[in-house]
Amino acid sequence: MEPITSDPCYSSWLEKSKSPSHSLFKEELVELYRRAGVASIFCSLPPKRVSPRAPMEIASANVICLQVSFCDLQEILPFSSSIGFCKHPLVSLATQRCRLSGEPCRLSVVVKCSLPSDPLLIRISISDTGVGSCLEEFQGLKFSRQSIGDEKWDGVLSVRTTGKCDNEVYHYQLNLKESASARRLTRLPSNPKNGVKFSGTEVILSMFESADALVAEINCFFQKMLMLKIPNVAYELVVERGDAPGSQCEHVFLANESNPLSFSASNLECLKSGIEDYVLKHGYKKEHLKVGSGTAYCTEGHQNTGWMMDTVIAISEISEPISSCFRTSGAKSEVIYFKDFSPCSVSRSSMKALTSIDWRSFGLTLKSIANQGGYAFLDWEGLPPNTRIDIILHSYHKQAIMPSAKQETQLDRNLIKRAVKLALDDLKEKHAGVLLSAHALKIRSYAPDLAKTIAGLILSSNDSGFQGECFSLLGLQCQGVGGEIVEDCIKKKIISVIEMNDRKSHERSEDVAPFLFEDECLQELDFQEDEYEEGVGFVFLARLYMRFSQLDQLMLKPRILSMGVLESPAWLPTVYWQLEIEHGYSLS
Amino acid sequence: MGDLRKSSMRFFSDQNLCYADILPPSEIRARIEVAVLNFLRILASPTPAISDLPLINRRSSNCRTSKGLLAQVSCVFLSHSFCTRSLMRANTAKAFIRVWKVMEMCFGVLVQEKRVTQRELFYKLLCDSPDYFTSQLLVNRTIQDVVALLQCSRYSLGIMASSRGLVAGRLLLQEPNQEVVDCSECGLSGHAISGDLNRLETLILNTDARYIIVVEKHAIFQRLAEDRVFNQIPSILITAKGYPDIATRFLLHRLARAFPDLPILALVDWNPAGLAILCTFKFGSIGMGLEAYRYACNVKWLGLRGDDLEMIPEQSLVPLKPRDLQIAKSLMSSEVLQENYRRELEIMVQHGQRVEIEALYFHGYDYLGKYIAKKIVQANYI
Repeated sequence: MEPITSDPCYSSWLEKSKSPSHSLFKEELVELYRRAGVASIFCSLPPKRVSPRAPMEIASANVICLQVSFCDLQEILPFSSSIGFCKHPLVSLATQRCRLSGEPCRLSVVVKCSLPSDPLLIRISISDTGVGSCLEEFQGLKFSRQSIGDEKWDGVLSVRTTGKCDNEVYHYQLNLKESASARRLTRLPSNPKNGVKFSGTEVILSMFESADALVAEINCFFQKMLMLKIPNVAYELVVERGDAPGSQCEHVFLANESNPLSFSASNLECLKSGIEDYVLKHGYKKEHLKVGSGTAYCTEGHQNTGWMMDTVIAISEISEPISSCFRTSGAKSEVIYFKDFSPCSVSRSSMKALTSIDWRSFGLTLKSIANQGGYAFLDWEGLPPNTRIDIILHSYHKQAIMPSAKQETQLDRNLIKRAVKLALDDLKEKHAGVLLSAHALKIRSYAPDLAKTIAGLILSSNDSGFQGECFSLLGLQCQGVGGEIVEDCIKKKIISVIEMNDRKSHERSEDVAPFLFEDECLQELDFQEDEYEEGVGFVFLARLYMRFSQLDQLMLKPRILSMGVLESPAWLPTVYWQLEIEHGYSLS
Repeated sequence: MGDLRKSSMRFFSDQNLCYADILPPSEIRARIEVAVLNFLRILASPTPAISDLPLINRRSSNCRTSKGLLAQVSCVFLSHSFCTRSLMRANTAKAFIRVWKVMEMCFGVLVQEKRVTQRELFYKLLCDSPDYFTSQLLVNRTIQDVVALLQCSRYSLGIMASSRGLVAGRLLLQEPNQEVVDCSECGLSGHAISGDLNRLETLILNTDARYIIVVEKHAIFQRLAEDRVFNQIPSILITAKGYPDIATRFLLHRLARAFPDLPILALVDWNPAGLAILCTFKFGSIGMGLEAYRYACNVKWLGLRGDDLEMIPEQSLVPLKPRDLQIAKSLMSSEVLQENYRRELEIMVQHGQRVEIEALYFHGYDYLGKYIAKKIVQANYI
């Protein structure tokens, strides 16, 4: 491509940019980039960011500008960083191949700084022992000049691959910058296997990049891959600097190092276990870690499309500050998003979905949600100081299809909502007292006072029979029980009812609490005036008697002396009787 | 006392009626204990829950009236509509706990076999739980909640009514084995009515009066007592110094029962509040509806009434306040109000003015006595 300065379009743009009118400026720029080979572009430049400078600087300034301003672009580009683009899809493909094999596999990334004289030139090799590759997956890779300049990478991949049943190791060269499909793939001489049965793939590329930055990024990437805890894949990062011996260092990332899982564990179980490992490794305490998980299925009509989303939510208490790939501290949560077994940036619809979740019913108040560099950050209000919440989402298709065949499905916004809610419900179900809604928290704050009052009532009685019965109902020993113990016992029971009701309320079952005087028979009286008969009065009396007799210690024993019905206006029937009561208190 | 033991209890029951029992302390303690046991039983059950408190609804919607059959007395009753206090609703959770706290306090009072006034209870609760009880009104309301829950009278809970009422005139009171008190010799202030309903119950009463006059205001009571109006017209004067309290109503009721031939006449200001006071003596109140019927008396309206206005100079007519209009409205909506009272109320509201009894002093300080005498002789009361 010719240098940008010689482009006539560019010069006219430059002229106009001196006195920019926004829309014109925009059009020229769009045209420029279209010529540069960018497939599509969303343009809304804030004019003040652009200042007339030397042409190259302006061009690069604009590039940065564009990258930062447009969140939409995240949906097209896997990663916004210049390093990231190339490597991540390759590792993702390698991961898929390893998963497909079903056997223990290794995935290695070797970074070699080849020449001491040219320290920026590095050779990256991504190799795996999974199933052999069909080249379609590579053909499907898109290359966007926007993220990597020409000078960084020439677009060439060297691929060696073989399947278990193949007799040779095939060797290809792929030029992703070549637009004509015929000239993209070049077949190179293969190597014989000599009867040895193995499968695997190696992809090699060279680029100009800082080795340290790359290694750090790969490290971080693998840390995240460990969260997925794919049972049969071991990741390895090897860094070689120069030819001198001893300049090699290795990092091994074993998924099953701690807490091994069987190969048959579901993806969700792996994810859960992976998060737990990760969190514990970084200094959290196991007893303060609470994890909830759930899987939501994407349906069209009534059928599962096969797309699903696993969600794990971990609530932990920080004991000491840690450094990790989590770019969060306390009141902010990072939402880690995986797509098809590879870390992915968060889409705008996902952000919207996260905003629309009813966090309040789980006692959480979302202050704001931000998208920074492809990562979603949730800012909470009023979280206890040492608590952190991590949300991990993983969407994938239940069949491990190779990427070239998959369609880009716009994930249902509801899928995320459902998945997160499932995980939150699970968390509440498993751990009492966690994620109580604001309502429940408020009611729970009254529990100590209520417990104290009732305990006070029990203890102030001078009736040992009554006290004994209370204690036995509470499951306490009768003798020598202190006030605090009684109070505490009642308080615990009340709190557990409140928490249980809070969990139940999510199932939308309105449990009506029983009345204190359950057999309150007067409640049931519902006579209509025209139904009035003589017998009614008797029934009323009988019920009255029943009510009295329920009160065991009551000494009133009413005896009916006489009963009758008086003539009265039809609208006001009256029963009249005389009762003799032993402990006569005159009632008129 | 022997009478009381064997006396049969008679009460009128509408099958829709709810009433509050007057019970000895042991019974109330028993009811509270049952409440606690039920609460714990439900809390510790396999499907635990925090039980709601069912309280008789003390709203006009739950109010019924009953015209008495053997007497001219109609009363206000509460029917079986319940409202609940629940811990599970955030805005009534505090009210729920207040009920339990008052129950705890009353239980303690009963165990120690004491009696307290509402004021004393307020201070105890204020110190014990300042978050829950911030005013006397709140305490009073909660006490009514407990009455509505346990369906027992306030007095049975150990809460003594404070004495506010006064009685003067041709009445001899004697507490058992005590000296006789002659209410006509009590001077300006009359004899204070005790707040202890037990004591009031046991009073021995004797009179040669022909009328009982209920006076709204203390000042008027004093004027009449000073002028010894009860000697000119043989009568008993009684006042609650404003809105009637239980003790005064209790005594009035006792007088009405003891001397059923004595007409009870009320002297109130010409304004909706005065009429409301009269009605409370006459029918009872909804707020204390569970105990109301017990003390209703057949009180007649002596004055001031609409036809007395011609005696009042123009200047004494004062405009009605918004509060007066509110009271008028709620009185109008009460189905127990009889036609002639309703007419009087309408005239009051139409004129938009009210008059106090003191306006009669325009004609001289002794005019009031003459006014009352004239009206009684003419049987000019409704």
